[in-house]
Amino acid sequence: MNRPEFYQRLAEILDVEEVKAEDTLKDFDEWDSLSVLSVLAMADSKYGIAIRAEEIRSVVTAADLAGLVEAKQK
Amino acid sequence: MNFTFRRKRISGILTVVPANVRSFVEEMKNFNFPEARSLKLKEVMGFDKHRLVEPGVCISDLAVFGLEHLFSRGLLGPSDLDALILVTQSPDHFIPPTSNIIQGRLKLKSDMLCMDINQGCSGFIIGLVQAFLLLEQESIRKVAVVNADVLSRKTSPKDRNSYPLIGDAASITIVERDTEDSRIHANLKMDGTRNEILMIPAGGFRLPSTPETAVLNDVGDNNLRARDHLRMDGSAVFNFVQVEVPPLIEALLSQAGVPMNAVDYFFCHQPNRFMLQKLADKMRVPYAKMPSNVVENFGNSSGVTIPTVITFNMKERLLKEKLKVCLAGFGVGLTWCAMLLDLGFLDFNNIIEYQ
Repeated sequence: MNRPEFYQRLAEILDVEEVKAEDTLKDFDEWDSLSVLSVLAMADSKYGIAIRAEEIRSVVTAADLAGLVEAKQK
Repeated sequence: MNFTFRRKRISGILTVVPANVRSFVEEMKNFNFPEARSLKLKEVMGFDKHRLVEPGVCISDLAVFGLEHLFSRGLLGPSDLDALILVTQSPDHFIPPTSNIIQGRLKLKSDMLCMDINQGCSGFIIGLVQAFLLLEQESIRKVAVVNADVLSRKTSPKDRNSYPLIGDAASITIVERDTEDSRIHANLKMDGTRNEILMIPAGGFRLPSTPETAVLNDVGDNNLRARDHLRMDGSAVFNFVQVEVPPLIEALLSQAGVPMNAVDYFFCHQPNRFMLQKLADKMRVPYAKMPSNVVENFGNSSGVTIPTVITFNMKERLLKEKLKVCLAGFGVGLTWCAMLLDLGFLDFNNIIEYQ
């Protein structure tokens, strides 16, 4: 996976300029059920994987989320 | 599970929606949520207007109103119906079946079969399957499949995961024998292990309604909901639809020997615009072939959404021509079902307002 591209997609979902690897997802105002759903949709359409909402809720940082997507792709 | 039916047809569809239009922008105030995020939700999901019944209105009111409309215009004779199949999750009472209540209110003949089926998002296809099976009987010539739900009455106005998208409605679909040698294919699947993804936890015999089940709880993201209310795990439903529905439709088409591009329209259950567009993307179907405008105009009325999407988008066209259509329903149960048929030259195909 191209991580910078993934963080950029995440930034678009969260309506911010930039998301860094170490950023905590819960600290974003826009990290809510709509964003979680948008991440599920992005993972499905861009990376061809199905993630469950519970799996997303257990991750802390943007890097953790990228790691989850990568693990699912294998 | 595959089904094939011969010499059966849909001859008319009528959708009944409450006249009362609510707007998402008005209701946003009820949500404990920043306005900007609510507007984002509106934009992404396609929330706008929805139709909800006034307090006290029940499904039999909508169904009787619709059937009387057909009788009074001579589109259906009261003695023509040999069976009335009602598909609902919001019956007037636990006992008796609401189909019997409708029969009684309309004084229909006693030489007929009334049957309630408890199904939701797949309820249109499941009702049709039951009707086609009944038409194998010599004594049954014409069946009314009535889909009806008033689930807004069980939805928390402070739950923005459910309330903005819910709609109330009823539909009457007339099914009869076809003089042509037509084929209808269907494929139905069920997974009861995931039954809790869409449910009303309290109010049945397992957990009767009490003052405690009516207490609003914060269920996350500042959404308030009681156990008496409808609960939808939106993200789980999203995954379920993306994973299960495309292969189901592919299997149905291959069983029927019909290529994807030979299908004129995909009339799907309408959870929200977002989910339908993602489904269309995944199936590589152009959005124009899979209308997703029911939630923004009427709301998601469970088993009534497929008749609504047909009557709203194809009102005139299906009176004058025949189209190859694929229906797909998915949700409560969990169930996921698809049906391929030639639909058209209908006697009626209309939406009316319940006053």
